[in-house]
This record gives sequence, structure tokens and C-alpha cells, in this order.
Amino acid sequence: MNRSSNHAPQWGEFLRRNSTYVILLAIVLGFAVLAPEFLTVNNLLTVALQSTLVALAAIGMTLAIITGGIDLSVGSVAALSGALAAGLATRGGLGTYPGLLIGLMAGAGIGLLNAAMIVWGRIPPFVATLASMAIARGLTLVYTQGRPIAGLDRAFTFWGSESLLGVPMPVWVLLVVAVLVHLLLSQTALGLHIYAIGGGEETTRLAGVNVGVVKFCVYVISGATAALSGLILTARLWSAQPNIGVGLELDAIAAAVLGGSSLAGGVGGIPGTLAGAFIIGVLSNGLNLLEVPSYNQQVIKGLVFILAVMLDYFIKQRRAVRSGRVPSTG
Amino acid sequence: MKRLTWLLNLLVLAALVLAACAPATPAATPTAAPSGEITLGLVLSTLNNPFFVTLRDGAQKAADAAGVKLIVVDAQDDSAKMTAGIEDLINKKVSALLINPTDSDAVVPAIQKANAAGIPVFTVDRGANGGEVVSHIASDNVAGGRMAAEFLCKAIGGKGNVVELQGIAGTSAARDRGQGFNEYMSQNCKEAKIVAQQTADFNRDKGLKVFENILQAQPEIAGVFAHNDEMVLGAIQAAEAAGRTGIVFVGFDAIDDAVQAVKEGKLAATVAQQPALMGQLAVETAVKYLKGQKVEAYIPVPLSLVTKETVK
Amino acid sequence: MTETIPRLRLEHVSKAFPGVQAVNDVSLEVYGGEILALVGENGAGKSTLMNLINGVVPLDSGKIYLDGQPVTIDSPRRALELGITMIHQELALIPQLTVGQNIFLGREPRRWRFWIDWKRLYAQAQAELDRLGIEVPVQARVADLSIAQRQLVEIAKALSYHARLIALDEPTSALTERETETLFRLVRALRDQGVALIYISHRLEEVFELADRIAVMRDGQLVAVGPVQAFTPAEVVRLMVGRELTEFFPKVPTQRGEPVLRAVNLRAGREVQGVSLELYRGEIVGLAGLVGAGRTNLARLLFGADRPEAGEIWMDGQRVEIRSPRDAIRLGIGLVPEDRKSQGLFLGQSVRFNAGAGLLERLSRLGFIDFRRINQVVKTIIERLRVRTPSLNQRVRNLSGGNQQKVVISRWLTLNPKVLILDEPTRGVDVGAKAEIHALMSELAAQGMAILMISSELPEILGVSDRILVMREGRLVAEFSREEATQDLIMQAATGQLERRVAA
Repeated sequence: MNRSSNHAPQWGEFLRRNSTYVILLAIVLGFAVLAPEFLTVNNLLTVALQSTLVALAAIGMTLAIITGGIDLSVGSVAALSGALAAGLATRGGLGTYPGLLIGLMAGAGIGLLNAAMIVWGRIPPFVATLASMAIARGLTLVYTQGRPIAGLDRAFTFWGSESLLGVPMPVWVLLVVAVLVHLLLSQTALGLHIYAIGGGEETTRLAGVNVGVVKFCVYVISGATAALSGLILTARLWSAQPNIGVGLELDAIAAAVLGGSSLAGGVGGIPGTLAGAFIIGVLSNGLNLLEVPSYNQQVIKGLVFILAVMLDYFIKQRRAVRSGRVPSTG
Repeated sequence: MKRLTWLLNLLVLAALVLAACAPATPAATPTAAPSGEITLGLVLSTLNNPFFVTLRDGAQKAADAAGVKLIVVDAQDDSAKMTAGIEDLINKKVSALLINPTDSDAVVPAIQKANAAGIPVFTVDRGANGGEVVSHIASDNVAGGRMAAEFLCKAIGGKGNVVELQGIAGTSAARDRGQGFNEYMSQNCKEAKIVAQQTADFNRDKGLKVFENILQAQPEIAGVFAHNDEMVLGAIQAAEAAGRTGIVFVGFDAIDDAVQAVKEGKLAATVAQQPALMGQLAVETAVKYLKGQKVEAYIPVPLSLVTKETVK
Repeated sequence: MTETIPRLRLEHVSKAFPGVQAVNDVSLEVYGGEILALVGENGAGKSTLMNLINGVVPLDSGKIYLDGQPVTIDSPRRALELGITMIHQELALIPQLTVGQNIFLGREPRRWRFWIDWKRLYAQAQAELDRLGIEVPVQARVADLSIAQRQLVEIAKALSYHARLIALDEPTSALTERETETLFRLVRALRDQGVALIYISHRLEEVFELADRIAVMRDGQLVAVGPVQAFTPAEVVRLMVGRELTEFFPKVPTQRGEPVLRAVNLRAGREVQGVSLELYRGEIVGLAGLVGAGRTNLARLLFGADRPEAGEIWMDGQRVEIRSPRDAIRLGIGLVPEDRKSQGLFLGQSVRFNAGAGLLERLSRLGFIDFRRINQVVKTIIERLRVRTPSLNQRVRNLSGGNQQKVVISRWLTLNPKVLILDEPTRGVDVGAKAEIHALMSELAAQGMAILMISSELPEILGVSDRILVMREGRLVAEFSREEATQDLIMQAATGQLERRVAA
């Protein structure tokens, strides 16, 4: 009966809390041994750079998943934001920064649409965001007429292609966003309410929390981080491509789940999600360095994913305690 | 729980086996001590299209023959993956990069990174709009147009009314194919007369509609050349519907439907690109350059003609 | 210490839902410093009445006064602000959050508006627990607590709102006797502090032990209110159901027949540590024990829902392997699970679907389901069990607990099993339906079925069973005949003060 007094943070407990990091570390060590080029500062910065795309989208996705929802529109939102920003900055004649701002707001706007459908329309998040995924992709194609938009100026490409103190700008952006959202989740009432909704929406409502407002915040943030992902990719490619971000939502979900988020809601966190995104990034980079043919790469990535999730489940089963990665103190 | 452990073991095993059997290519590099240090990186826009799979096979064969190592990366039609793949190969310090861009603009920053790292870049099939590229290896569309004209001229006996269905205005394919075709016709097939030149946007539906109108206006047509197969297949449909026979149709690209039409005798010929040769030339050009020889900025890849005689 | 102005006064309160007058012109007062028991069958309107007070649903007509002042309660938030809290039947705690986070959810102590002051939150939560003498670690995740601990946290949460009126809806349904005692002490202490309490329960013995006054509801109306001394339990039951119930647990004497099922030395983890038992035709065996003693685990082993690590099961003298519920059903074993909503029913489907689901394979020809036959069978059984439903197409979600349980049982009856295991068959079921379910069990036994009933309600165990087994910590620790069993003996065995020879 008195199971609550388990003050034994030993090996198993450590594994349980940190399984994502352990897996990331294992993969990094594996590649370090197998590929001499892997463990160089230059290559690690490249991996960080390549991971930002998925990581940014996954940050918003994590919030949606913690509430027990999902946001399938992130890939299309990334494309729409990139295209709008590039188009307005170049042929629209608005200039780079207004263009970037409007691109970001467009992402938040799709998030607003998602939230409206979910909160007011009572449409399940999966269905609502599936619809906006199609809408945002369609708007992108309408706006670009299916053709890339090039001719970005240096102020725009700066955010994708240049470095500060040796670290690429996208990584800085990711760091700032990750820290902000992590603080939001772990230190603010809004963050606690996001976890609470995932654990029991009705209970949270009865506790006097305005659940609708919380969900609006979640999907707007998710739209905004997806937009950031698209803007950075556009800056990195020096052009807006109407077909970017296809399948990004799946990578983002994978990153969140690898990072310990539960699709049932109530569980998850930004550090874990970042580790999850890095696992995906490290795998792509490492397998390329190991010269694994691309067809095999896809199989290996799928296997590693299921392996990681099972390992996580396995470790938690052994402890026979339901887990939860909610911050307990400040 | 036991079953779970068992499954985990199985998965680990499967992953190991896959990873182990994966790099089959380096083992295949047989000889050649001096050129053995050469490693080429080939980044393809997609490996989900038979054209590029054949291109890779041609490149691999040429690499084996030259005794160099070839690393292939598939961008899965995703510009972000293409950039990441190029970055990975730069970090891997390959000797040269052969890039088949997903998009001519999006690839530019990645090419500049390679330039900064001192790695020579070659583009294959599709060009890049910036960065320093040593050579561009692509099909010679002008020669292809000329080849189509030569066949058509002979097939109609050197005289009669000829129609040209053009691709989307301003695209390099439409421009080059049209140029080659018209050059040959005006110089070597003077008795034939080009009575109509209209654009049908590389599209089958438009090919049908445009050719329907031409059929109305022209009671006698001896031959048709279209800048791609889609348009020519549309035109064949229009001719069949109107009950007009005896027209020689020539298309471009040798897509599956067109090859089938050649077999059935509806289509006289279609011009085929040669992806295997393209891959081979790309590797050979890069190796030549790395060995210090001079290479041209543009390496045209010859095309071939698919007719009832040559079709398999 | 009852006050003169009622804490809460309802004046001609009514609420209708499509097709039902859920609350019909109810006028009722609750005073500070008293415990008012609210009783009634499921569907009598108790929950709707509570939801009106708690701001979950709006009033159609009538007035609510708090301390003599008219108030409008349009949301749970508003109810909280007015000092009204409710402890629900289904626990309103979020398992992934800590105790402290749960207590202060929605009103976390803040710094600079947005940031939670964790130090203050946990200090205040600790203070709340200390005030009530509840010993639960404030930073523990609720998922790691026992049901009883959660119940206590729930109460601490309700009290931390400085509630002046607390409604408790079936708070003891998941508690053991001892935990119930703790809860009662707490409830009495609150009353003595001047809090007004509304206590909803199906267990009349609790009501008579705890309440100062009793209010009885039937069909949306208040049919009686008065001090507890003015009623006898039989009267309350009569008021609730509107008719006389001669016996709580009608027991038809039966003849014990051949042995049907024999389990030998079953083992599965810590929950079942070598259990042997035998079930006979025509006999109802009651399985008693504390929550967590392993009774449900044992039932699941017999039904093939879990696999034993060791042990044998024999049916009709033959050794059998039960690898899955499918095997068990084929052998003629049925299980009415404890959690009927998630394990026993397809809530969103019709009565017809739920009752007929077991027949699909049996009544089909060439792979095509014979819906006409299924319909006939289901109709007969539904009528025989007196399931109160407007039609066979009614969604099970909309039935009362007792009728839902009857639908689960009717599914088994369509299959005519030899052994039926019922896990807490009358939990959350109102008094009238409870008696009907008991009568049905007797009837089935009389027809030769072997019945194993798990129950945490001792009067039920004593009233229904021919033979009583007691489990403790994964073992069968005692066996009593109907004649020799008493509440005391069973409790002693269940709590480990008594061990007794166990047959088989």
C-alpha cells in the first residue's frame, strides 16, 4: 500500500528518467567508433544545423502531444511561411524583415485556425490539422504557382547560412526557442495546465482552468515554431520551395515520441524532444558518413525508432511505475 | 516480458546485419593504387524514379571501371535533404561532388559550401543557378531535336506539311529541342514545310486540343514533332478521333506510354535520353578533372532514337 | 452547532434534459455543521442536482441562495469562488502531476504573473495536508499513490479552496473498510469545523452511520427529508424505489451439484501465489478480501485474460489449457469484469449490439451473421433480465449503472456458460437493481450454473454466497460456510488476524 516512499534513485531509476539521452549517447558513440569523420567539431555543428528543421517543428508538436492532441499541419505550415516570406520580401517588395514577420504570423494564423476548429468546432485535433495540412499546402502552391521563389537578399539568407561565434544561426534560433518553450512548460502556469489537460481535460476544466485558452496557445505556438522551421529552411536554401516540409510532421512526431512524449498525453518535455530530434539528425548524418545506401538507411531508421521506443517502454515496465516527465520543482 | 526481450534482440540483430551488409560498394573497388584515393560523392534528387536509378548504375559502373569510390546519397526530392546530404559529403571530404539538384536555386548555398571547402562540383541533368560548377553534364537537347528532324524528314520522304508542338515557352528543354529541330529542317529538309508551330505546355490534354484545331485548319499533314511524349500522345488521340491516318508522329523522352505506342505502331519514334551514359560521363569527367586534365564546361550526353526497329 | 441561516438553500429548482425531467421542483436546505445524506437510485437526479450546485449545468428555473444571498453559479470556477466544491465519484486528479500540483491546479501561487512559485506551492500544499493529518509526500506523482491516498489528496484539494460546502459523490466506492474509517473521521472533523457537507452514497449503512439528515430523491423529485433518527433503512429503500423490497439479498436455497472447475496451485507474480479452489454446479461462492488482495487477478487467470506462471485448471474432470479469453469462453467460463465501462461494454453501441456481441460467430451461416436469430435471442434475454431500456437500439452509455450491468450479464447468458465469474457485480448499481442482480444470480445457480462472485461489500458476500473464500496477499486464507460466516470473521481473515484451513 505504501509504495509512495520510494527513495531509491539507483541505476534503473536513472535509466528510466534518461533513456532518450542514453540512446542518443549510444548512437553518437557508435558512429564515433565507426566513422572517423563523425566526431569532429565541424561535423557535429553540421548535425546540429541539420537537426534544427525537425527540432523546431517538434517543439511545437510536443506541446500539442502533451495536451493529448497532435499537429499534422507543421510541414505545410513550414512551406507556406517560407513561401510567403520569400515572396513578400522579393517580388512583393516589402523587404526582408516585414516578409519574415508576415511569414511567422501566417504560421501562427494556421495555428489559430487549428485551435478554432479544435476548441470551438470540437473537431478532433488529428482531423482538424489534417484539413489545415491540406489547406496550407494548397495555399502555398496557389501563392507560388508551384515554382520556387529565389532572389533573397543577404539579410534573409543570414538566418540560414551564416554563423555567429562559429555556431550556425539556425542553431542559435533553436536554442533560444527551446529555452523559452522549456521555461514556459516547466515554470509557468500555462505550462502546468498543458500537462494537466493531457492528464485529464475535464478535471482541468473543473479546476477552473480555461482549457480553450490553453489550447489556443498550444496550437499557435506550434504553428509559429513550424513557421520558424520553414523560414530557416528557406534562408538555408536561399529560395522558397513549395514542396518543402513534406513528411516533416512525421519526423516531428517521431522526435517527440523518441524524447519520451506519450501520444496519450500528459507526458513529454523539450529536452527530451531535442534529444529525439538529434537522434534523427545524427542517424541521417552518420549513415551518410558510413556510406550506407539510401534504401537501407530508411529501414535502419525505422528499426532504430521502434527499438528506442521499445527500450524506453521496457525500462519503464521494469520499474512497474507509470512514468511522467512533468517537472516537480522549479 | 520474455517475448519483449526476444523481440528487442531480434531488432538489434536486424539493424546490425543491415548496417554490416550495407557498405557493399567499397569492397568492390578492385585495383588502381593512385586513383584509389579518389572518392566521388553523387547526390541525386531522387532514387524513386527509374531514370535516376539507371543513372546511378551507369555512374557506379564507370566508377568501378576507373577504380574510384562512389558514395551515393538520395535526397528523396527534398531540397533540405539534398543540402544535408551535400554537407555530410563535404564533412566526409570527398574528392568531388556530382550533384543532380532538386532545384537549380535551392542547391546554390550547398554548392558554395563545397566551393569554400575546396571540393570541385559537377552538376548532372539539371543545372545550378549559382556557385562554381566545373562542368554540367546533361542531355544534348539540341542534338535530340536534330535527331528527331532527321528521322521525320526521312519518314515523310523529304516533303509535305509538318507540325511542331512546342513545350512551355521559356524552358530550356523547349528552347533546345525546338532549335535543333528547326535548324535541321530548314537546312536539310527544305522541301518539307512547317505549317504550324503551337505550344501545348508539355501536357497531354493540351496536345489533344491544340492538335484538334490544327487538324481543322490543315487538311493535309505529313508529320508531327512534339517537344515531349505527353503532347504527342494527345495529338495521336486527336488524329484517331478525327479519323485521320498516314501522319508520322515523333515524340521526345521515351516514357513508358510512348514506348508502348511505338510498339503498337501508333508513334513512329521517340527520342530517348541515356541516363546510364549520363552517369558514366559524369564520373569520367570528374575523374579526368581530378587527375589534372582539362574538361569542358558543358558535357553533352548523346541521345538515342526509339523506333519500331530499335524498341525492345 | 447548526446555524439558523442555511449555508445553501435551493428554491423550486428544476432542470430538464431532452426527454427527461432530471430535477423537478426541488427545494432543499443544507446547514453549516451538518452532514446531509442524499440518496436515491441511479437516475433519480442526484448527480444533476449536484451539477447544478457546482455550476456544471445551468438551471432551468428556481433559485439558489448561499448564506441567505441569491447567487448565480454559471461555472465550476464560480462555484469554487463561492466556496462550493465537489468530490466526484471518478477521481478528479491528474495522475501525471504531483500531489502539490494537483491541489493547486488552476490557482498556482505565482511570481511576476506568469511564473509558478514552486517553493510556495509545495509549502502550502504541505500545510494543507498537515492540517488534515494526511501523510502523503507532496512531491509524489499521483500515479504512484494508492487509491486511498488519492482519495485523501482529493479531499485535501477540495478543502484547500476553503470550501464552505462540500459535496461527496460515492467517495468510498474504491476504499477498504479501514480507509473508509479514515475518511469518515475527516468528514466528521469538517462538520465540527462548521462546513456543510452533502454526502451521496448507495451504501445505506454508511449513510446511517455518518449523516445527520437524510434527503431521498426519486424520479427527479425530493420525496423525503428528515433527521436520520426519523428513518429506518427499510423505509429509506422503500422511499427510493417507491415500492416495498422484502429482502435485500433474496437467496434461493440451492443444491450443490457436481464439481465443474478446479484450479490447482495457480501462480502469477505477487498477486496470485498458489491458489487452489473448486467450484460446483448450483453454488454461489463469494470471494472476499481487501482491495489489492489479488481477487481480480485470480479471476483474470481463470478467464484466460492473463496467463498463469504455474498451476493447472481442470474443467469437468479434464485438464485444460486456457491461453486466452477465447479458450475460456469455448470451455464455458464467463467473466463480468469489475470495470464494466471499459472492459465489459461497448459504451457507444446499442443494447442489441452489446448483448448480442458474443453470438456473432455462433449464429452465423457461411460467415454471414444471422441477425434475425440474434435479435430473437437478445430480445428474450433482455426481457427476462428486465433491462430497462426504451429499445434495443438505445446506446448503452445512456443506461443506468444497474441496467448496464444487466446488459453485460445478458451477453454471457446468451452463451449459456457453465461457470460465471462476477467481479464486483453491484458496484455503482442502485438498490433496486442490486436486488434484481442478486435474485438473478440465485436463479442462475438454481439452474445449475457455478458462480464465483468477488465483492468488497461484506453484507453482499454474506447475503448471496453459499460458501465464502477470503483472499489476502495473493493467497486463499480462509473458507467459511454460509452458516458460520460473519462480518467479523471475514474481516479478521482479510486483514491477517485469522488463518483457516482451506479446502481443495
